[in-house]
Amino acid sequence: MANKVAQEAVSRPAQPKLGRLVWLCVAAWALPGLGHFLLGRKWRALILFGSIVIMFLLGVAMQGEFFVTNSGSYLQTLGYYGELCVGLSMPAARFFGYSGGNPLFVSADFGTAYLVAAGMLNALSILDTFDIAMGRKP
Amino acid sequence: MAISHFPAMILFSFLVSVVFGVLSKNTPRERFGYGAKVFAAFVGVALVLGWVMYPVP
Repeated sequence: MANKVAQEAVSRPAQPKLGRLVWLCVAAWALPGLGHFLLGRKWRALILFGSIVIMFLLGVAMQGEFFVTNSGSYLQTLGYYGELCVGLSMPAARFFGYSGGNPLFVSADFGTAYLVAAGMLNALSILDTFDIAMGRKP
Repeated sequence: MAISHFPAMILFSFLVSVVFGVLSKNTPRERFGYGAKVFAAFVGVALVLGWVMYPVP
């Protein structure tokens, strides 16, 4: 009996504490790839950071639109939360003077798609961080 | 930055494929293969749909 319990303890990875899980997910949200970096997956972190941040910067360069929540449109509100998933990049862009896009610019629609996609990819990255921390993924 | 449809689509497909490959598979070889497949699927489907929709006014 004791042997069986010991075997189970060895085969099942230790569950992380809730506080550490929350911290990892918040870090992964704030800076793309930071969650993976804190878990020791440095190359994966670097590739995720590069891809997601480049995507966000291309969206800003194409004058993509930052959605707002008070437009009265559910789709715009969803778009806002989608873009918010990219973390601190959005407030940082505003801090450096980005006004939220110009819908009349020729590439603005592409830019908006890039911004939302960057947020969605970072959401996947957060879920991956959670899975790795829980021991469900190598 | 003004960019045309096709380069925008290629850039988008490349970046999304890289992230999908990194997140979905566990070894570098598998990641590269999966990322290449996703990229080819993105570009291929977009080209096919573009030609299918070409006669549509």
